[in-house]
This record gives sequence, C-alpha cells and structure tokens, in this order.
Amino acid sequence: MTTTPHIDVEDLVVQYGPVPVVGPISFSVSAGEQLTLLGPSGCGKTTTLRAIAGLEKPVSGRIQIGGQVMYDGARGINIPAEQRGLSMVFQSYAIWPHMSVFENVAYGLRVRRKSGAEVRQRVGEALELVQMAGFADRMASQLSGGQQQRVALARACAFSPSVLLFDEPLSNLDAKLRGDMRVELRELQHRLGVTSLYVTHDLEEALAMSDVIIVMKGGHIEQNGSPEDIYNRPRTRFVADFVGSANLIAGRLEAASSQGSDVTLHTDDGVVIRGVAHGRKRGERATLSVRTVHFMLSDDAAIAAPNNWPVTVRRSIFLGDMRQIHVGWAGQEIIIRQTRGPEWREGQQARLSVEPEHCVLLEGD
Amino acid sequence: MPVPAVKARPPMQLVIGGGVALVAAIFVLYPIFYLLQAAFAVGDPNVRPPEAYGLDNFARLPDYWEIMLNTLSVAFAATLMALVFGFLTAWILTRTNVPFRKTLEQMMAVPYYVTPLLGALAWSLLGAPESGFINQVWRAMGGTGALIDVTGAVGIAWVMALFEGSVAFVMISAVMRSMDPSLEEASQVIGAGRFRTMMKVTLPLVAPGVLGAAIYVFAEMLGSFTAALVLGTPSRFYVITTAIYQLVSQYPPRMPLAAAMGVSLFAVMFIMLFLYRRVVAGRSYVTVGGKAFRPRAMDVGAFRWVLFGICFLYVFLSVILPFATLIYASVQRLAVAFPAADNFTLEHYRTAFSLNAIRSAMGNSLVLGFFTATLGVAVTGLIAWLIQRSRLPGRGVLEYIVMFPQAVPRLVFAFGMMWAWLVFPIPIYGTIWLLLIAYVTVFLPLGVRTITGVLVQLDKSLEECGEMCGASWGYRLRTITMPLLRPGLLAAWLLIFIASVRELGASILLMGPNSKVITPAIVEAFFSSSSELTAAMALIQTVVIGLAILVLVPLIKRASQHGSSSA
Repeated sequence: MTTTPHIDVEDLVVQYGPVPVVGPISFSVSAGEQLTLLGPSGCGKTTTLRAIAGLEKPVSGRIQIGGQVMYDGARGINIPAEQRGLSMVFQSYAIWPHMSVFENVAYGLRVRRKSGAEVRQRVGEALELVQMAGFADRMASQLSGGQQQRVALARACAFSPSVLLFDEPLSNLDAKLRGDMRVELRELQHRLGVTSLYVTHDLEEALAMSDVIIVMKGGHIEQNGSPEDIYNRPRTRFVADFVGSANLIAGRLEAASSQGSDVTLHTDDGVVIRGVAHGRKRGERATLSVRTVHFMLSDDAAIAAPNNWPVTVRRSIFLGDMRQIHVGWAGQEIIIRQTRGPEWREGQQARLSVEPEHCVLLEGD
Repeated sequence: MPVPAVKARPPMQLVIGGGVALVAAIFVLYPIFYLLQAAFAVGDPNVRPPEAYGLDNFARLPDYWEIMLNTLSVAFAATLMALVFGFLTAWILTRTNVPFRKTLEQMMAVPYYVTPLLGALAWSLLGAPESGFINQVWRAMGGTGALIDVTGAVGIAWVMALFEGSVAFVMISAVMRSMDPSLEEASQVIGAGRFRTMMKVTLPLVAPGVLGAAIYVFAEMLGSFTAALVLGTPSRFYVITTAIYQLVSQYPPRMPLAAAMGVSLFAVMFIMLFLYRRVVAGRSYVTVGGKAFRPRAMDVGAFRWVLFGICFLYVFLSVILPFATLIYASVQRLAVAFPAADNFTLEHYRTAFSLNAIRSAMGNSLVLGFFTATLGVAVTGLIAWLIQRSRLPGRGVLEYIVMFPQAVPRLVFAFGMMWAWLVFPIPIYGTIWLLLIAYVTVFLPLGVRTITGVLVQLDKSLEECGEMCGASWGYRLRTITMPLLRPGLLAAWLLIFIASVRELGASILLMGPNSKVITPAIVEAFFSSSSELTAAMALIQTVVIGLAILVLVPLIKRASQHGSSSA
C-alpha cells in the first residue's frame, strides 16, 4: 500500500461564469479504492468528476493524481484531459457509431501507438473481461444498450489506466440490467484493482459498489464515510433523508445526557426517546434520525426495551418485498418498513420499539 | 515536498483555431470598416484616407425618399405575400390530411433552388406589360392594356415572395411541427370546441414563431437585389439595393452616397435581425420539447383536395411555370405567347455556347465554386467546432463576427470589399482571388449554420471520450468529429457550391474584365441582348450546376471516406 493517496483533491472550486457550482471541497482516494460521489442532480458531483478528468476547468484548488499535479490554480498548471492518463465511462456510453466494436475498444491503444499484435491481444482481453468476445466485428450502432455499456467499459479498461472514472454509467439501463451490472462492475473493479471514482444519484448503487461514499449537496461534502457509516450513522438531516428513508424526530435534549455517547430526547409532546450521539455536536434542540427499517412493530405488549411505546396503526401498505406501516406517535407520523410480521390493519393497536443505537443524533437542529 | 507536474504540450487548438478565427474576423470586419469610412467621409471622395468625417452623406439621403418608399413598399408587400404563402402551406402540410403530403413537402424546397434570377427572368417574360405572355393572351382574348405588370412594386414583391420567401414556410412549419398536440387535446378534453381551441391555444402558441418569421423575411426583403435589378431597372423603378448598384456603376460613380445608403440599409437590417433574435429567444412558450411527436393531422374531408390545389398552385407558379416559360422562350426566335412553326430555333443555345465570355465565365464560376466550397467547409467547420465545443475564450464574440455577413446585403458587403481591397498593397482587385475571398466571407454564416446544426446533435461525450482515451485534438478531429460530421460537411459543401456558382450581389461589383463569372454575365446579357438568349443561358447554368453536383458529390464522398479510414 502506498502512503500517499492516489487521487488527492484540495480546496477545489469550479464555477460556471460567476456561479459557483462546486466547492471548495477536499477529499482523497486511496490506491485500489472505489469512491462514490452520491447526491441529487445539481449537487456538483458530475462537475467534480469532470474537473478531475480535465474536461472542466476549475477556478482554484489542486488536483493530484498518482503523485503528479494535474491542476493547480495557484501555480497555473492545468494538464489537458488527454495527457492525464485517466479513463472514463460516460453516462451516454459515448460509443462511436462509425466504428466497429473492435475499433472502439482499440482506440486508446492506437492513440498510444501499440503494435498491431498487442492491440489485438489487449482488445481481445478487454472484450473477454466484459463477456463481449464474440462481438468484435459488429458495428457499434447494432448493439443494445446493455452491450454498449459493456463495450464502453472494455474501451475504458483496454489501455490499463490506473484510474477509472464513472459518470452515472448505469442510469440509462433498465432496472433489472442495472442490478446485474452493479454486481459485475464491482467484481471487475476488484479484479483489476484499479482506483475508481464513481458518480451516481442512486443510493443502492452507491451502497453496493463503494468502499467510501461522499454525499454531496450544493457543491459541498455533507458526509464522507463507509457505506455502513453513511447508512447507519447519517451526519445531517440531508444525508438521513437522501440516503434511504428515515424518520426525523425533533425535540429538546435532556441536559443530563449531554455527556458521553448516549442522549435522551424529549419531543414537544413529552415523549422520551433514547439515542446515540456518535460524537456529533449537540445543542439544546436536536433531531434524531431513525431508519424506517430499524423501527419494530409487534403485537407483543410485554417488550422491556428502553424505547417502546403503544401506538395505533394508521395505514398499512403492501410494497412487495416489504410492508410499509404508518403509525401515530408523539404527534407525528412514523413510517416503518418490515419484511416480516403480520398484515397490520388500520386502527389496530401495536407496540413500537427501537434500539437506542439506531436513533442517531443529527448535526444542526 | 515539491510535486512534479506533467509537462503540457503546446495548445494546438489555440494556435490553429485562433489563427483561423482571426483571419475570418479580419475578412469580415475589414470591409465593414471601409464601408463605414466611406459613408462618413466628407470632402474630396478621391482622397484616401478621407480628409474629414461628418454626416453630410446621410444628410443627402432624404432627397431619395422615393427610393426609400419603393424599398419599404416592395419589402412590405413581399413579406405579406411570403407570410400568407408560408402560413397557408405550412398549416396545410403539417396539420391537415392533405393528399400527397410527402411529395408536396419536398416540392416546397424547390423554389429556393430555382433562384430569384431565374424567377425574375421567367416572370419578366410572363408579365412585362407589353410583351408578357400573359398580357399577350389577355389582349388576344379581347382585353385591353396589361392584365399584370411585374415591373412595379407589387410585381417585384410577387417575384421576391415566390423565390425568396420560402424561408417563411420553413420557419412557420418548424413552429407548427414542434407544437405538442397534447396542448390542443387538453383544451378539447376540457370541453372547448375546435374553433375555440384554434383561437385560444393554437394561434397564441404559433404567434411568436410567425412574428419571428415576419421580421426575418422583412429584413431579407429589404436587402433583396436580384428581382428588383432584373424587373425594376429597365423601367427605372429603383429600390435601395439597385440604387446603390446604380450609384457605384454609373459614370462618374457616387461612392460616398452609395456608402451612406449601404450603411443605412445595413443598420436597419441589423436592428431587424436583433429584434428577430429577441422574439425567438424571448419566446416563453415551451413548444419544442425533447419528445418526438407528429402533430395531429386534422381530417378536413373533401376540402383536402382544395388544400392540395393551393399547394400545387404555389409549386406551379414558382417552379413549373417559370421553367416552362424559360424553355419555351429559349427555343423561339422572338419570344411570343402563341407558337408558330417557323419561330422555333436552337440558335440561342448555339450562340450561348459559342460566346467565349460565357464559356470562361461558366468555367470561372465552377472553379470558384469548387474552391469556395472546399475552403469554406474547412474554415466554417473549424469555426463551428470552436464556437460549440472549445473552451477557448472569446468564442461568443467569434460567433457574432462570423454571423455578421448575414445582416449585410451581399451587394453592400461587396461595396465595402471593393473599397477595402482597392487600397490593399497586393493587387488582387479585379482578379478571381478577390471573388474567392468575397465568397468565402459572405458564405461564412451559411456554412457555420449548416455545420452547427449537425454538430449540436452530436453528443459531446463522443469527443470527450476520445480525450479521455488520450487522443490529441487533431487526432480526435480526424478520427471522431469529422467522420461523424460527414453528412453535415457534405451538405455545407453543396450549399456553398450552389450559392457560389449562382452568386450575383457580390460578384456584380467585384468581378473584373478578366474574372467574369456566370450570373452577372447572364444579367449583363439580359440588359444588353435578347431575353431569349438570356433564357437559354440561365437554363444552361442550371443544367451545368446540376451536372457538376452529380459528378462532384460521389467524388467528395469517396475522398472524405478515404481521408478518415486511412487514420
């Protein structure tokens, strides 16, 4: 393992005219790691990726890849994209319709003036890798969406770049294919051991594919952590809300609980709920986030956990893989998702409970 | 720790792109500068640079109020007619179930290729007050005087509308075609009748587009030259463009006055085109969506044959009748409406082919067309790419500069060029080189517009992917951009070639005795010899252009394919 990060972004700022789109943001990616930029459209994730690729010119900051400065606003360095030695898979695949599959994949090798034999061999390997070996002579325009995606991937890998950039590569595929490709991409990334930077707005994709996730909002980083961190311990209301569905519970923090990791919250209706702080800053007003899947609903009245309350079922909706139940609790509606359990009916009495460790304190109010 | 940086190669884009952009900008702005200088110069017009500047030349313009009035009335009448034709045919062809719609749609583009010159020649044979065929027939049927007269304001406007007004059809049908039919359906579902829907939804939606077309066409008509030259000059009916030509070509020429007229015309057209951009850009109704739809065709029952008749009449008046007239006139000794066996002859064709001036003019035109188109496509392709795709500073300004010649009538632009290159140290005035420069410059907007139209449809990531694969700018252009743009480049080549070979406004001022080109030669023949011979020459020109295209297109196709596959 190298001690210096493979990709290092420092105080990067990108503007379109006078409008700041990104930054200043800083983060780094270790060699062989897969980092995902996650966020809603317009959050600056694609712009950040394009700035690293060299397709967008930042206004200030520094980008270093493999120990070399690619962009440095202060020193006036901006290496053109074609000289950065990266590779990229585009959202639209960008398969050249006037070339065969072979020529598409061979492009990066031809640019590097590889011999004919080497080109043939490495194109073959790359197509093998994405299971498109039989398609070399096809014209690119005759491929389906999924096949184009694979060719785009083979083309990006063929010249053995050390860094792969992905700009929402799966967003144009249908849901089923997207699920399959997600697994394949992850495997491929592991096999090649290549450092990759991935951009998506799809939570599941981000969770499934990344070593590290950076959640972005309005051009800034909201949270930077492992998928488990992001999901189980959201730092802000935005992350809790964007990353999966969460119940947000606002209230007043009990002063006695302002030490250590445990916190106790009194809602405005006087209900008490315990949670954990995870070292977050805390004020007097605070919000806890509880994932819809972490709440439990049962008809067993004798639960002796710290957080448990009698509730009335307001609505019960069957969603296929799971059931979504709405219950009235402390003057608000709590949403619970369960994969098992009885078919709850409206008006039914039940017991709501949740482990304190799943009630996560958010920063801000 | 000092971190090494990769050495950046010199930016080819900046060197080549910047160079071409600079040359294009000089070609466009240099003549405009001299035009302005001539217009504001006072004192002895033969002293250059001028002794003093002032508004004296403009102060003399009110004396020519009659010409201004003529120009306005011709442009207004022509715009009105063009809009009526355009709106009717656009509506019929996009919104009704008229029979043979596809064929008619293709026919609508033909009048543009017939050109105002052929149209004006043909209609002068048909509608001259004394000798016009229609008036001959009218008198033979017992009428007196002239039934129609194409030598006045209305007649000139009629020819201009028929042959230069098809842009109105193109613009209005684009608006009608891009209108989401669900907007109308929504109105009908709510319970509004067909008429109410038409008044409350359809018309307000197309209104900005029609207004835009009106302004654009009016600006074009103000700067229109050919029809007024052929039809109006013999009867001393002048509009501003023909007046400028007259002032420049008479002896002694009155350059300062011509320049003032040119600058005024150019200022008015510039304002009109600015307004047009405002109208089109400020159109707040989103009628153009990304979704593909075919607007609902209204079932008009048996009335559809009437609508077919209207479209056919337009094609008849602007294509069939003019060509028939020219062919009929060209094979007669003396063109008359009623055929007589001893009046038929092929002598005019023999004369036309034997005239050395004509043969060299045609040859010059073809050679010029070939080089203008080739050079033009290279330059405009590069410029279009720079404007749309590069991250170079100043590309917005570049776009304004290269589209500039569109706002200047070619005659006025040529006047500026004449003035500019007369004092140029290298003597290219009166040579074929000046014509080449002039053509490339005045057709910059045509090429840039055509190629941009194709370029913007090309997904940007196709080129960016080449960048990420490590390909240099030149390599990317050669292996990705150019092959994908080939249809657009070919279309631009053809359009520029055709436009060059038929160019009149710029050529008529800039050609010298040893660099004659065909279209001005035809006009000269019209004024100095018989209309029968002129008809034959015009037809020969049309056929030669057609043949040249047939020969050249496959050649260029092959050459461009070869060029890209050798990469």
